[in-house]
Amino acid sequence: MESIRNINAIARRELSLYFNSPIAYIAITVFLAICGVYLFVIYPFFEGNQATIRPLMEQIPLFFILYAPAITMRLISEEKRSGTVELLATWPVTDTQIIVGKFLGALGLLSVTLTLSLIFPLIVSSLGELDAGLVLGCYLGLFLIGAAYLAMGLLTSTWTQNQIVAFILAVLLCTFFYGIDALVAEVWTSARDAFAFLSFKVHFANIARGVIDSRDVIFYLSVIGSSLAAATLSLQARNWK
Amino acid sequence: MIEVKNLNKSYGSLQAVKDVSFSIQRGEIVGFLGPNGAGKSTTMKIITGFIPMSDGCVKVDGTDIGEDSLSVRKRIGYLPESNPLYTDMLVYDYLEHVATIRGVAKKERHGRIATVANLCGLAERVGQQIATLSKGFRQRVGLAQALIHDPDILILDEPTSGLDPNQIVEIRNLIKRLGENRTIILSTHNLPEVMATCSRMLIIHNGSLVADGTPADLQAREEDTQRVKVVVSGAGSEEVKAALSNIEGAESVQAALTAEPNALAFEVMGQGNTALRPHIYQLAVEKEWQLIELHRQVLDLEGIFRKLTQVV
Repeated sequence: MESIRNINAIARRELSLYFNSPIAYIAITVFLAICGVYLFVIYPFFEGNQATIRPLMEQIPLFFILYAPAITMRLISEEKRSGTVELLATWPVTDTQIIVGKFLGALGLLSVTLTLSLIFPLIVSSLGELDAGLVLGCYLGLFLIGAAYLAMGLLTSTWTQNQIVAFILAVLLCTFFYGIDALVAEVWTSARDAFAFLSFKVHFANIARGVIDSRDVIFYLSVIGSSLAAATLSLQARNWK
Repeated sequence: MIEVKNLNKSYGSLQAVKDVSFSIQRGEIVGFLGPNGAGKSTTMKIITGFIPMSDGCVKVDGTDIGEDSLSVRKRIGYLPESNPLYTDMLVYDYLEHVATIRGVAKKERHGRIATVANLCGLAERVGQQIATLSKGFRQRVGLAQALIHDPDILILDEPTSGLDPNQIVEIRNLIKRLGENRTIILSTHNLPEVMATCSRMLIIHNGSLVADGTPADLQAREEDTQRVKVVVSGAGSEEVKAALSNIEGAESVQAALTAEPNALAFEVMGQGNTALRPHIYQLAVEKEWQLIELHRQVLDLEGIFRKLTQVV
């Protein structure tokens, strides 16, 4: 009960910070603009003569590689830089509550972003027949991959007091896990399939196909869980003698 | 209430706190005194659970902070030295956030916030963003943050640093009022502050505790010296200084500052048991100086402090 109250308070503070400052509005606007430009300008949408949302859905995990770290970069690093981590550490909250609260705050912003991005499937569906099941699958996949990026971004944010460093490390980490099978294949072609099970891209493609396999969902949940656990340990490192 | 035993803390090869032990009873206002870098903040950060100790034991109400840090943290209100705040928040929202995390029940939060805001003189600023507050008001927000859950123990790291003299007096009065039913540890490198607010002082130097007692105790330890301030007019500086130096029992004479116009001020140091003041009075009468001021510096803690914390 007490832990739920604390997690809730921390998550709400993060969410209200996003929405009481220009951060959220700028981030969401830029994100939606990029999605729109991609779908209707870069991708030959109108030439294809087909109402499809799929090309955009396949790009969003790439956009998220920049978007998620931008949301998470300040979460812990800013507390360290401004010294407020001393307050957090001396208030009666556990490190796990801090990490989970911060994660949920960021996840809130991501959820708002995804909800607003439903405008694209809506536009497309007004132009032609849209497979609702496919859209549903894509959005579940986007939510999971986005949450996994956020958890990794939160982890890198515990490593430094510098937001930019946290951002860059998070982008590298997200890129690595997004395309790990392709990266490995560059040097060792036959190992591609062996590493496919670690690839965010492969698991996303599975879910986005509309076939929701518990293995793909469990994969993302375990990435989120282990990243948050690592972030908690990293916060606790201040207690090492 | 607070028991610190053989506390040690080292940062790499630097030993910041060396074998410090003390215990504090309920209701005491303890001044933690020492030059910058003496280990005051480090000790406070250990008691509040922010950083771990290298060796030793800290108990609050019998609970070891290493074993149950959370329950100890609940009992303590803490104002860190740098007074970090979520500057993006409004004062009210910030205090509400802290109250929530501090476990103040939802229906009591508004009342508690109003109470501490009044206590800290913040009532008119609760709707303001913290980033736009002056340093003095920020300090009050920090203090309000430490008080919001009505803790038994208050740990205040340099609560008056950076404030102007009026604000310092206000905060001191507030601390005294709060100390009527709480245990307070405050750190400072400012002696008058301790004299004005504390019932006991701990002097720490280079990580070690060098003195522990009431201001009067420490004064008594130093009774063998006295310092007398003299302000006279009607004579030349050299003449007065030479004459004062010849007084029986005077060991040194130093020019001092005075706000009196056309007057000269001196500090005469001597043995504690000599009759310095009668001799100075006699001298002034003989030489026909106008004696404007003559008094013994009663609580000469400044001297004690310097003596205890001088680098040998």
